[in-house]
Formats: sequence, structure tokens, C-alpha cells
Amino acid sequence: MGEPGDIAIGIDLGTSYSCVSIIENGQTAVIPNEWGERTHASVVSFLEDGTVLVGNSAKRNIITNADNTVYSAKRLIGRFYFSDEVKKAQAVMPYKIIEGENNSVRIQIRENVYSLPEISALVLKEMKSIVENYLGHEVKKAVVTVPAYFNDNQRQATKDAGRIAGLEVLRILNEPTAAALAYGFGKDITQKIAVYDLGGGTFDISILEIGKDVFEVLSTAGDTYLGGDDFDDRIMTWLAEGFLKQHGIDLRLNKYCLQMLKEASERAKIDVGRDGVAKINVEGICQDPTGKVMDLSASLSEAEFNKMVMDLVQRTFKVCDEALQSAKMTAQDLDAVILVGGPTRLPIIRTSVKHYFGRDVMAGIDPDEVVAMGAAIQAHSLLDAKSEHYLLDVTPLTLRVGTVGGYTDKIIDKNTPIPIERSKSYTTNRDGQEKVKIRVYQGESNKASECELLGEFEFSGFRIGYRGEVRIEVTFEIDTNGIVNVTAADVETGQKTSCTIRLSSGLTEDMIKAAQEKNARTLLARGEAAA
Amino acid sequence: MDEAFEIEAQALAQILDELDYFQILKIGQNAAPLEIKAAYYRESRAYHPDRFSTLSGGELKDNIGRIYKRINEAYVCLRDDVKRSKYLADVLGPERQKKLRFIEASEQELKKEKEAEAGATPQGRKFYMAGLADMAAQRFESAERNFKMALTYEPNNPRFKAKRDEAGKLIKNDMSIR
Repeated sequence: MGEPGDIAIGIDLGTSYSCVSIIENGQTAVIPNEWGERTHASVVSFLEDGTVLVGNSAKRNIITNADNTVYSAKRLIGRFYFSDEVKKAQAVMPYKIIEGENNSVRIQIRENVYSLPEISALVLKEMKSIVENYLGHEVKKAVVTVPAYFNDNQRQATKDAGRIAGLEVLRILNEPTAAALAYGFGKDITQKIAVYDLGGGTFDISILEIGKDVFEVLSTAGDTYLGGDDFDDRIMTWLAEGFLKQHGIDLRLNKYCLQMLKEASERAKIDVGRDGVAKINVEGICQDPTGKVMDLSASLSEAEFNKMVMDLVQRTFKVCDEALQSAKMTAQDLDAVILVGGPTRLPIIRTSVKHYFGRDVMAGIDPDEVVAMGAAIQAHSLLDAKSEHYLLDVTPLTLRVGTVGGYTDKIIDKNTPIPIERSKSYTTNRDGQEKVKIRVYQGESNKASECELLGEFEFSGFRIGYRGEVRIEVTFEIDTNGIVNVTAADVETGQKTSCTIRLSSGLTEDMIKAAQEKNARTLLARGEAAA
Repeated sequence: MDEAFEIEAQALAQILDELDYFQILKIGQNAAPLEIKAAYYRESRAYHPDRFSTLSGGELKDNIGRIYKRINEAYVCLRDDVKRSKYLADVLGPERQKKLRFIEASEQELKKEKEAEAGATPQGRKFYMAGLADMAAQRFESAERNFKMALTYEPNNPRFKAKRDEAGKLIKNDMSIR
């Protein structure tokens, strides 16, 4: 055990919502903020006075203060500016996404420029402060979760975000593994389980094989643009079209009306899921041309709602097919199915998932909180020197190096247990060559263009000789966080060579230090209860 | 952490580069797959870095990291039947000292062996594999055609030739039975 009172928190840093949990008196507890809210919108709103509003009260600013409010930062973290994801995000996000040095992505808010880890660090700062307020003392350590398919850059950037927020990140943990931990898997018999994770903005399915203390991700698949928000949008369109037909006014044209409409739609989705019917009533949503104040009222039945979203639900099963196929399994081979994410509370999802997998689903733990709770369990056991518990996780992506003609060579296969290292030797191909350049990729294709580029490393400082004479051994290491380290040595002399990262979406040590100071100076605005 | 373990870990780190994968997992060279897995879990329980996350750096932590990476490396190799038999031949052979780790060179050799088995050209391999599938389905005439096609890409491949002759014989047998 560390210092008395030493505690590590578990943080689910989600695309739409985040959640924080600790182990208290041997029990896993989700920590609410001062308004009693247990999940917090991953939204960062930069206010005029220089303070920053994070969480559910920042969410309404997405529409009313669009330029200065950043949401879904997780879609951009650890990406290169030239990636498709960034282009997609630029098309839909109202805030300003710009290019930084080394092909990195930056967010511009007024005259300030932020890296993605800095944005996520503000969400983490809020999570940290929620626990600190609750406990009455500082916390310094955390386990932060990421999707199983996150590559090295995304994991590294998430870890940087933790450091910027003043947290020592003990572990970057896979979300499905965390969910399985929270359900107490990994204690005895070997089982195969599916984790069906429908979040606010993304859908993931992971197939895990779990033995005693062993968690192996067999396969994972996802749709990065499918989530609860799409369900809200369906209701919103239905409400807006109805209002337009009835009164000839399109509520979507005014951003304040749109905000109210959006909030009403999200509420309606929750109500219809819980009560089987939603009464929508928004007083004073707009004024007609004569200045008369108008109300929006409607009633949504479960049957109507289900019809609206059926195609979205079906889309998740296409992704499930894909994951099962790559795990070389059928739904019948599974021993359990775990539900994660708020939208999985909807009866339409529960019944459809049950039907698809042909078995009952596990939903005993709040699907919004289960990942954070698993992170807390892992955080606790990492601090406990007497803990018998250990996790055998695997790397979800194949590590590759670029070769000639746009192809790649496998270095470390996917599903290899981590930590692991592997060496590859290179010889110089020119007389007097001073540098060797290596491009590192992650992905499942032997074509470089179909893999994610992690970076370009340049080695120098080895002996100079005739071509083919100098051999350099490059060692690729994947650590317990799934983060890649590359080092090289001259085979003959054993001399370590220096390495320059030429292309990287990451932050340098100096940048992290500067960001830490900036983060520590930033005051978190205390909004009001959002709902 | 107890002292005995610390001494053991430091000693193991010292001789790590002299051990083969069987020695690292503390199993015999003919261990069954289930034994390998059990040994891997046992060694993980002892050396997984998570158990030492409270150590603040230093030589012991580095050594445990090195040992555990080697345990994973051993398991990845030995759990795969094909890699394992190649590795076993390597460490029983004259170049044992050089081949204690199943590294790039061994992997390349394995790849070559595989290619030699299934053909050195992509087209040759394709027809050869199609021929094998035909054989399995007892379509001997189609198999013979595929093996002949494979031979047009690799006229000197002995395996292709043998399979072509085998298919040819089976066609005759087939005819005589009918």
C-alpha cells in the first residue's frame, strides 16, 4: 500500500459523457458532483471571463456558444491533421479545428490555440476536482479508459491529457475490459463474453475471452458515428416536422429554439424508454411573426419511437456480425453479453440485443457507470502491493513498419500479450549513410495506406561504413498501456543510437510542461444543475 | 515483497539471455498446450509488472519488466504449434546459443519453409491450394488440372509434381472402380 490516504481514481473519459469512480470502504462508488450528477458531458466551454465550464451545464453552450465550446474531442485526440476522421469532424463540428506543427490537430478558441490532450485534460481536471471535493483532499493518480481499438497515438495522447491535468496515469485500460472487471469476471472459469457498448456518439462491440485474471480481447469492431445522439436526432426531426406542418415555423432555424428542441428530444428518448410514452411539452419555444409566444407539445409512444430508430438498431448488429466473424465465433459460443452506455437502457435495444445473441443480457450495473467502476477496481488493485489480481491484456492492432512500394511488414501481431518487445535489424544501403528512417504503422492491412501511421523515426549516431556493413537493431516495445516505444542500437558496438521522431501527433515534454501550468491556472467555472 | 523473491528475480535477470523459452516458463520441451498455458499464468502471477506498480523505478523494477517481456515472448512462441516445433529444432540444433530467442531470422526461415511447401509464386500457390481442395473433395480430375497449372508457374517444384502424379493415379483408380 502506498501513503495513507493514497488513492487512485477510475475515469471513463467518454466521447459524449465521462464518469469517475473510486473504491471506498471496499465498495466501488461513483462520485457525483455538487448537483448530484453522476455522469458529466465531455464538453468544454470557454467563457468570456477566462474560466472554463465543463460537464452538463457546458452542454447547452454547444449551440448557444458554438465557437467556444468543444465537444467530442475524443474523436480527434491522437489523430493526424490529414486523417479522414479529422476531415469528417471539420464538416460537422462548429468549433475551429486547425493544423498545428508536425501535422497535429489544434483547436482555436478566440485567440488561443489548444492541443487535443489539453482539451481532454480539462475534462479530467473536472473529474479530479469532483473527487477532491467529495474526499476533501487532493488525488494524484488515476486509471483512464480508452476504446479497445485505440491505437498508440490515441493512447499516448490520452495519457498526456492525464499528466496535463496533474494526474499520474497508472494505466490506460480498455473500456470493454473495464466493464468486464466491474461485473466481476476474471475470477474463476474461462468464459467468452461480448461487450455491447452503445454510447452517445459511438458504437463498439468487443468479444473477450476471460479466464482467471486474464482478459484477452479476441476482436473488436465499431461504428464511430452511431450513438444515442442519432436517436435524439430522429425525435428532433419528427418534432420539428410536426411543428412546421402545424404552424408553418421551422424550429431548427433559430439556435435557441434548436437548443430547446434538442434538450426536449433527449428527454423524450429517456422518458419513452422508461415509461413507454413521452409527453413533450416546451413552453415558449418560439414566437410567431405577430409576436405571440408558442408552445411545443406532443406525445410519443414507444411503438412510434421504435419505428423511428429500428434501422439504427439494425446497424449495430451488422457491426456485431463483423466482430463475431473476426473472432471466428457465432452468437451461440458466447457465455454472456454485457451492456454498456446510456442508450442500452432503451427497451428496444435490450430486446433486440437479447434476440440477436439469443440469450439474456447482463445489465445489473448502470450502463453509464460500469466502465468507470471497472477503472476504479483496476486503479485500486494497482496501488495494492498485496493484490493477487493482475490483468493479461493484449495489443488490439498489429504493429508494422513501412517497406518499399507502400507496403508494410508485421513486427508484432495483434492479440499478442503485452508488455512485449521485438527486434528487427536493418543494414545501411548507401556508403557513408548517416541516418536510417523508419515509419511505424498499426493496422491489419499489408498496405501502408490502409493502416494508421504512428510516426516516423530517424536514427543516427551509429558507425559510418560501407553500405551493408553497418547493422542497426531496432527494438519495438509495447508496454502495459499498449503504448509503443522504439529504440535502436548498433549491433556491433551495442551503442544506442539517438532517435528523432519526425512525424508525430504527440506533444513534446516541454509542451506538456507548459500545458500543465496552463491547466493548473485555469479555473473551472461552477455552472448550475443542468437538468 | 519478500526478500527471497527479490533475490530470485535478480538472479533470473542475470541469466535471462542464456535460457530458452522452456526454461523461462519452467516446463519440459514436450509440455502439452494446457501445461504451457498454466505455466504462463503461473509465471505471470509471479512477474506481472502490475504486481510491482508500487515500486518506484530502479534496477529491480527494470529487471522484472525485462523478465516479464521474455515470459510473454516465450508464451507467444510456444502456444503456436508451428512456431514451437521450429523453435524446438532451433534450440536442439548446433546454433542453440544464437537461437534462444525466436527472432526475425527464425521467423523468416519459417516463412520460407511455408512457401516451399505451398509454392514460391503467388499463382503457383493459388493453383496448388485449389488442387488440394479438389483432392479433399475427391474431384481428382480437377485437382490434376490445378496441379498442372501450378507447375506452369514453378516447373521444378517437387511437391507440385508429386501431387500431380498422385492425382493422376487416383483418377485411374476411380475409373477402374467404375
